[in-house]
Amino acid sequence: MIKNVHHVGVVVRDIEQALGFYRDTLGLRVHKIQTMDDQGVRAALLTLGDSEIELLQPVVDDNGVARYLERRGEGLHHVCFEVDDVDGDLRALQKMQVELIDQEPRIGIAGRICFLHPSAMDGTLVELCEPIPS
Amino acid sequence: MTHLRLDHLVIAVRDLDAATADYAALLGREPSWRGSHPAYGTRNTLFRIDNTYVELLALGGGKRDGRWAGELSRFLDEHGEGLYALALGVDDVEATAREMRRRGLDVLDPADGSGTDEATGARRAWRHAQVRVPSTRGVRLFFIQHYSPAEALPPAPIASAAGGRTAVRRMDHLVVLSPEMEPARQLWGDVLEARLALDRTFPERNARILFFRLDDITVEISGGAAQTKEGLGKPDRLWGVAWGVDDLDAACARLREAGIETSGPRPGIKPGTLVATVKGERAHGVPTLLIEHTPESFRPESRLPQGAAYDRAPERRAFTLTALDHLVLATQDAEAGAARWRDVLGLGTRQIVTPEGTHMRLADIPAGNCFIELVQPLSEGHRVARSLAARGPGMFSMALEVDDLDAAVADLRAKGVPVSDAGPGVWAGTRVARIDKRAANGVSIQLIERR
Repeated sequence: MIKNVHHVGVVVRDIEQALGFYRDTLGLRVHKIQTMDDQGVRAALLTLGDSEIELLQPVVDDNGVARYLERRGEGLHHVCFEVDDVDGDLRALQKMQVELIDQEPRIGIAGRICFLHPSAMDGTLVELCEPIPS
Repeated sequence: MTHLRLDHLVIAVRDLDAATADYAALLGREPSWRGSHPAYGTRNTLFRIDNTYVELLALGGGKRDGRWAGELSRFLDEHGEGLYALALGVDDVEATAREMRRRGLDVLDPADGSGTDEATGARRAWRHAQVRVPSTRGVRLFFIQHYSPAEALPPAPIASAAGGRTAVRRMDHLVVLSPEMEPARQLWGDVLEARLALDRTFPERNARILFFRLDDITVEISGGAAQTKEGLGKPDRLWGVAWGVDDLDAACARLREAGIETSGPRPGIKPGTLVATVKGERAHGVPTLLIEHTPESFRPESRLPQGAAYDRAPERRAFTLTALDHLVLATQDAEAGAARWRDVLGLGTRQIVTPEGTHMRLADIPAGNCFIELVQPLSEGHRVARSLAARGPGMFSMALEVDDLDAAVADLRAKGVPVSDAGPGVWAGTRVARIDKRAANGVSIQLIERR
């Protein structure tokens, strides 16, 4: 089921400002910057060994990331695990009646993804992703 | 405590008409308001831009012995024209005054104020509380609660010659010179609770700058790293301002036509920015920069498929972060938490331990390329316990593996990043150091070295 930690999501107010620390000070390489208009977020992916740090900046003020920022401020937001079969895993979780945010996989920056509800994992927001071969 | 906004910036000028004409040219806008404060012996011109407004303040229009007039007159005699005061907007000035006194600021009793627009007769009213300058180390601050609705002060109309892309849109940042930075850090961070976005040392400029954010405006507290000793006890000073424009080239061309010279445009220190310095006297004693956030910095993906322009990690580095070592999750119950990770996500636990002297129960859950560490604090004062109480269970920190911990600590400190001394980690064969989360966008980062 779970293979690796694909990335750790960090919510920031301003990606440019955050790159001043994560890229310029810590020396991490940026390999992708993308705006997901349908989700109202902009993301920068930084390489960390065989994993990634994903900086997320809301570009609208009424989505989950924006509300998270408003309520809890900048910081750690979610952990994303790479899986082989997101459809199969999601079905298994539904069968176990695990509380989910997504009932169907959708396309995210990391591939086909779904989010569990944080209450399912003791307060940690967990994302599963099945990368799409490029 | 109410959230402070940068309500407006006050510039002291001698000749209000000349200054109004110059700022109209500089901003590419007509004034929003031209008025007077008869009770205080001052006159003003206001320009509202997208995220704040600027007030040109001069003597005249009533009693010369008004309280404001006396202070302004002394300022002009001692310093000449220039940045005079910063108004911080609040919802309840009485409550703010009480709270700020409790935090050690010498705040005068709140008083009502009002102004009248000369052309329309419109009136605006507010209540404000001034802070005595010694307690702010030289920066003139006041808190202001507007009684009039925001629309009482309309946006400064963009001059027809200017066109939207050449006019000043917003205040980008404000520069405060601080010979002795620690008290300034306390004032802006601890007392005013502005968010410290970055604390950075620029060795090539022999400077250290603290970047505080008030909403979308940055307050840069700038001190020369080498001048701190001579600076002991010297006051801070509101110094300069950077105005945001959409198209810097066009803005510079427009200014040239208006007889205002600029140097630039050139790349700014912040990646993705272009800046130009306004030369000459037309900014009335205010060192002035125009700044454009280039389109790349907003939507780079349209032009840069690989994010190439963003991949500016320095080639030669003092240290390298090699992997995500582990994630630390706070929990009330390590056993129950571990069972959850096993049952829901199929991640089994390698060990659950209570290392001696740590006051923590730890579950170690391998997850492929790294591991999950559940932490259950066993004493109330533990920092994980404080986080649990404040934020509930969940993600607490991330541990990044580094090739040379001592080099990393030294390098980060040289760059002005607060980081703890390196010490033994809870896991065998590891040494760790912690980066202050305020320097890392709220993320508690542990650097970990494995032997």
